[in-house]
Amino acid sequence: MTQKIENLSALVDGELHDEQLLDAIKNDAELADKWQSYHLIRDSLRKEMASQINVDIAANVAAALALEPAILAPKKTWRDLPLVGSVVPFAKQGGQMAIAASVAVAMIIGVQQYNQTDVEQPFNSAPALLGIQGGLSPVSLEQTRTLPRADASEQRRVINAYLNDHKQQLRFKAAPAEGESEVELYDTEQSNNVESTSQK
Amino acid sequence: MILNSQTTLKAPHKNKSFQCIRQVTLACLVSLSFSSIGQSVEDDQNTVSVDLPASSHSEPAKAFPSDSAHGWLEKMSYAHSNLNYSISFVLLKPGVDSQPYLWRHGVSVSGVKMEQLNLLNGPGREVVRIDDKVSYFEPNVPPYSLQSRVINGPFPSEFFQQPDEIKDSYDFVMVGRSRVSGRAAQQIRIVSKDKSRFGMNVWLDQETGLMLKMNLVDLNGQLLEQIQVTACHVTEQPDDFFEKIEPAMLPEVLKLRPQTHTKAIWDIAYMPVGMVEVKRDIHRLPITGQSVEYVMLSDGLVDVSIYMRESQNDGINQDILLRHESDTLLTLNQGRLNVTVVGKLPPETANHIASSIHLATN
Repeated sequence: MTQKIENLSALVDGELHDEQLLDAIKNDAELADKWQSYHLIRDSLRKEMASQINVDIAANVAAALALEPAILAPKKTWRDLPLVGSVVPFAKQGGQMAIAASVAVAMIIGVQQYNQTDVEQPFNSAPALLGIQGGLSPVSLEQTRTLPRADASEQRRVINAYLNDHKQQLRFKAAPAEGESEVELYDTEQSNNVESTSQK
Repeated sequence: MILNSQTTLKAPHKNKSFQCIRQVTLACLVSLSFSSIGQSVEDDQNTVSVDLPASSHSEPAKAFPSDSAHGWLEKMSYAHSNLNYSISFVLLKPGVDSQPYLWRHGVSVSGVKMEQLNLLNGPGREVVRIDDKVSYFEPNVPPYSLQSRVINGPFPSEFFQQPDEIKDSYDFVMVGRSRVSGRAAQQIRIVSKDKSRFGMNVWLDQETGLMLKMNLVDLNGQLLEQIQVTACHVTEQPDDFFEKIEPAMLPEVLKLRPQTHTKAIWDIAYMPVGMVEVKRDIHRLPITGQSVEYVMLSDGLVDVSIYMRESQNDGINQDILLRHESDTLLTLNQGRLNVTVVGKLPPETANHIASSIHLATN
């Protein structure tokens, strides 16, 4: 047994490949247990552990299944009809629908916004002397909640402003500021977008 | 750069004053461009064929302990700032097309360190660093230089130069050896001590210590961003490209506005282990022109921006959480205060930071 456990340890470390041992593990509950705990130990040594650990739910599930009364012929309901069954009840769908709709709205607004840059020019009140970075792609909104439509455009603009500014700040982080101020930095992202769309 | 200047020619100009600046830029770049045409074609081919010849003529390797993750990172840092190399890599991010880059580094006879980073797809983007001057050449923007020792690019340059800086915030773990880009590689895992930030996996070339692959992973080990090296050449002499650069022709160093030193109105009570405040000012946001109180936190690997302003009824008076590529953006409203946190952080941490902000007591 000790020999087997030693071999098992080597197997987990990837130092040994032994078909017989693998078979033995399959048939021996104690070895299988060891196999699992060795993996757990290895993962924690390598800091590979997930933030939440689920220790062996398989055994619990198996036990629960064993207790489950066997149903030989489940009663048919209308949901089992081939077509109806594949339709998700509308109420259930609600959450997903809302998210999908909000993303679609965001995308459309994104395109409109690109074409509307002239309207937004007053916000770049000073002459655009310098743009910072060229390729900030439009925000792909993995929205976690729905937005009222009227606010979405403004919100998107603000989000873009934050993301742009963050990129700028990262670039200028390492550069020390000097005494005199000669250059004001303004972002020309908007005009970039105009040019890039016109090139297409 | 070649591509850059061509686009500059083709791009429809709406703004005449830009055109003048661009012509000047173009003149500066022409000498560089022509010389590097042949070069880039070769490099493109290398990017396709994974070709990593043994670097037999690298400098006599300095000895670093190969039995600790720390030793390996020192080796990496030494290699990245002292070897002459040319690396092609691909940057992969979710939801974005892959981006191939060429990254070259050289040390001149007089010991000046030179670096170049070039985005190979699209109109191109090029960054050249000569010692402590970093010049950015980007489409639709007049070129400019910054006084800095690091390139702001897709990889954490500061980490390559001084991996020691992050040892208060992260644990380094030796994982094992594997084969990456056709080379024997040592894998090192970098995990935040308080599990508050994303982790990193780096694979370092066994022989030279150069980075071959780098994965940014979230707390559950899901991949967020990846850099995969496809070709890597270490040479005795710096690449010819660096000879062609005339330092005098590079754009002038920008003079940044001095920071407005203000008395802090808001206090950040929670910061992840090892994070420090590196910048605080009040400035206006691009696009919207709103004025915000700004704080940057950094641990040497991740930089986080925090924006604070009074809540207004202007569309962003809701709480927002979204992910843009690998950046998390979180906006929280707490009474009068509207806080936005942006950075490569797990949402929980962003939330923790944002909700810890309160009015300074004195």
